[in-house]
Amino acid sequence: MRHLSFTSRRIGVIAVGLALAGGAVACGPKSGDDAKSGSDGKPKQGGTLYVLNNQAQEDFDPARLYTSGGGNVPSLVYRTLTTRNRADGAAGSKVVPDLATTTGEPSKDATVWTYHLKDGLKYEDGSPITTADIKYDIERSFAPELSGGAPYLRDWLEGAADYQGPYKDPKGLSAIETPDAKTIVFHLNKPEGEFPLLATQTSFAPVPKAKDTGTKYAAHPVSSGPYKVISNENNGEHIVLKRNPNWSAATDDQRKAYPDTIDVQSGLDQAVINQRLSAGVGKDADAVTTDTNLGPAELAKVTGDKNLAKRVGTGHFGYTDYIAFNPKVKPFDNIKVREAIAYAVNRTTVINAQGGSSLNEPATTFLPAQASFGYTPYDPFPAGKTGDPAKAKELLKEAGYPNGLTVSLTHDVTKGDEQGPEVATAVQEALKAAGITVKLDGQEHAAFSDKIHTLKTEPGFFLTGWGADWPSGGPFLGPIFDGRQIVDNGANFNNAQLDDASVNSEIDAINKITDLKAAAVRWGALDKKIGEQALTVPLWHPVYKRLFGKNIKNVVISDWTGVLDISQVAVK
Amino acid sequence: MTVEALSAAEGGTDAVASAPPSGARQVWRRLRGQRAALAGGAVIALFVLVAVAAPLLAAIEGQDTTSYHAGLVDSASGGVPLGTFGGVSGSHWLGVEPGTGRDLFARLVYGSRISLIVAFGATVLQVLLGVLLGLAAGLGNRFLDGLLSRITDVFVTMPALIFAIALLAVVPDGFPRPVLLMLVLGLLAWGGIAKIVRAQVLTLKSLDYVAASRLGGSGPWRTARRELLPALVAPVVTYAAILLPSNIVSEAGLSFLGIGVTPPTPSWGQMLSSASTWYQADSAYVLLPAVLLFVTVLAFTVFADGVRTALDPRVASRLRVGTGRRKQAKADAGSSGTVSPEAVASGKVSPDVAEPETASRKAVTGE
Repeated sequence: MRHLSFTSRRIGVIAVGLALAGGAVACGPKSGDDAKSGSDGKPKQGGTLYVLNNQAQEDFDPARLYTSGGGNVPSLVYRTLTTRNRADGAAGSKVVPDLATTTGEPSKDATVWTYHLKDGLKYEDGSPITTADIKYDIERSFAPELSGGAPYLRDWLEGAADYQGPYKDPKGLSAIETPDAKTIVFHLNKPEGEFPLLATQTSFAPVPKAKDTGTKYAAHPVSSGPYKVISNENNGEHIVLKRNPNWSAATDDQRKAYPDTIDVQSGLDQAVINQRLSAGVGKDADAVTTDTNLGPAELAKVTGDKNLAKRVGTGHFGYTDYIAFNPKVKPFDNIKVREAIAYAVNRTTVINAQGGSSLNEPATTFLPAQASFGYTPYDPFPAGKTGDPAKAKELLKEAGYPNGLTVSLTHDVTKGDEQGPEVATAVQEALKAAGITVKLDGQEHAAFSDKIHTLKTEPGFFLTGWGADWPSGGPFLGPIFDGRQIVDNGANFNNAQLDDASVNSEIDAINKITDLKAAAVRWGALDKKIGEQALTVPLWHPVYKRLFGKNIKNVVISDWTGVLDISQVAVK
Repeated sequence: MTVEALSAAEGGTDAVASAPPSGARQVWRRLRGQRAALAGGAVIALFVLVAVAAPLLAAIEGQDTTSYHAGLVDSASGGVPLGTFGGVSGSHWLGVEPGTGRDLFARLVYGSRISLIVAFGATVLQVLLGVLLGLAAGLGNRFLDGLLSRITDVFVTMPALIFAIALLAVVPDGFPRPVLLMLVLGLLAWGGIAKIVRAQVLTLKSLDYVAASRLGGSGPWRTARRELLPALVAPVVTYAAILLPSNIVSEAGLSFLGIGVTPPTPSWGQMLSSASTWYQADSAYVLLPAVLLFVTVLAFTVFADGVRTALDPRVASRLRVGTGRRKQAKADAGSSGTVSPEAVASGKVSPDVAEPETASRKAVTGE
């Protein structure tokens, strides 16, 4: 009954790891400018916050979680070297120090990164947090028993490619040095200016070696954050967190930690979550959701009700839904055909099919419309809001198809999905006006994903989407357009199979830049340059709209996560 | 034919005296007496007409099934249609679809084609298979009967919907979807009809006129053709009339689950599925396909019940009671039973005759 889940769109946390879905509160929400507290008065401490979610917070082990910016629920328990700035909008896509005193001191070529811990950091049992514990958790994340985390460290750390974790190889990683209890040094095999953004992930949280219970650690992890785990039922389906008395706001300027208790209940139907939040009966008045958006029909109901409309948080997670071409398949080897489709697409009908203009913003750039990604507005194939079928016909004629052509569009059959039949049908209808007959090739969800991400079976023309693990151009453009990231066996995301020396070398050059703002400008320019090749047709950037309970105060939604930040919310 | 045959089998002079001029005409006369069945028949006729004339109707309205009308929906509110009752207007008689703005009237009338074509096709296939295998089992030797009966049992007990989902998922997309639906439904749900035919054949086989035909040198297939098939018309027609609405529901169910016809081809089940989340924001969108499905299935079911009654020999005898053609039966006129006691006593009504009815009732409640 997957089709029923279209009542509210699942956050598409595709990112590098399709695996995200289960493990990660990864993509958190963020608050829009119009989303402020549900009731008046200053937020106060106390009370119980309820989180109603669809996806369980599985594998609650810092080595196994695949998060963006440390996640939403995980970040309440695990502090990391750096973290995302807990602020509304664009300010929230900045990286800030957490356990460390700075976001990292790079060597000249950004291959060595040094961090120092703040003073007075303690675990829930009062013992001090040391850099050796952070190193230990990173080593744990290499253990095959604790799979699921992000793959970056294995690629980036010197000599770490074949490391099997501290259980099999207690010598540890030589690429990480801990000269004293407060200092940690990372040696990378290539320049990575975005290392501080990676250091927000939970593999950079401390785990005391003496308390490590291996695969059982997730049930009772040792907290470094404002809350400790009281219970964790059915692998993350129901997690109860209580205030950690040994956490001090003096060492943590990011987490507000207003409620005394946080109760995270998952496994709920998305329609049920929205129904409960809108009714707000009893405890549901103190509830929020971090993974369930309002669907189109629910939005129609909410916009007609002033009291409900006040309780909607709007967020922007950096994500792009687009049409992908595989130029190895005819006729998409011809750039004129690809351009014709780019001109013919009607973004208005496509967006309406996907829930309308409140839930989606039209996209002409591959990078999301946020400065942190390096957003540079451009539209190489300007066709207005509704497409330009006449121009498309002209291009088809030049391409040698004066009588139009027939192509096959591969999509997911899951109703309401971003790559679902509604969007495919809207594209089909728009292309009809340009003389392009589109046959729909609907595939079951898992089969679809396999087909488009396997080189041998990749179709020529399909719907897909991309989100990044942190708000920057690197993880957004790299996996999609870096020729060295074409994966022969396994999941390939370089759909166009682009292997362009000038693109590759520009990616390398930008990775050396440690000034993230300067890097962003270069990412934006690179995006524009690639965009002209019409390898993709960006369709829209999703907007997340989520209800929160009547008593909820201090809603903060950053552009990093697009969902409200639990660490900021108060119920009193 | 059936009624004649059964009357003949009863053999009484009264029956011969009151024998109707022809079976079909008598059935029609009995059907005519049932207003509900007639109303059902009229609704069915209307739907068939609409399905046949779908292109014409859409052309009169001036719309088609696939054109998007972005201006008719409120994009900022999730794509809910502008205007009342889901955007009803002079150019869009039943409003438009949320999100896309496609014309609902055109989609509904075209959608009726899928529902009816698939249901009719599947029913024909089920009847053909059921009669063929039922006959073979009833007439064959013990081994053949055992084999076919067990196969039939398997098909009867198999969860057809689940199996249909599996089948539909593996067939390549190139295959025309309505034909595929027809085949899948037809090939899976013939078990009930085969069982009834076999039971009837076993009963009929022992009757004198069939025995006479066999003694006269007819082979099994000649007997089947000349003596058995005419007698099977009543139960088979009755059962087919009950299968048809259940096939409409199955098609809608499969389309609802997203494995029916592929978009943008409209079908009622598919529309219902898309509409299911809109019940609060745009209730007209949900009601239209739901009401149409309900009315169609109800019409077919009521009509099927009428046909069953009209073909039921026991009802026939009761009717005669009612018209006072059989003096003897007058005494029973007040009784509510459908089978007159003396008929049972004289062994004229075999217990097996009751089977089509109970079996079909089971089928109705079981679906």
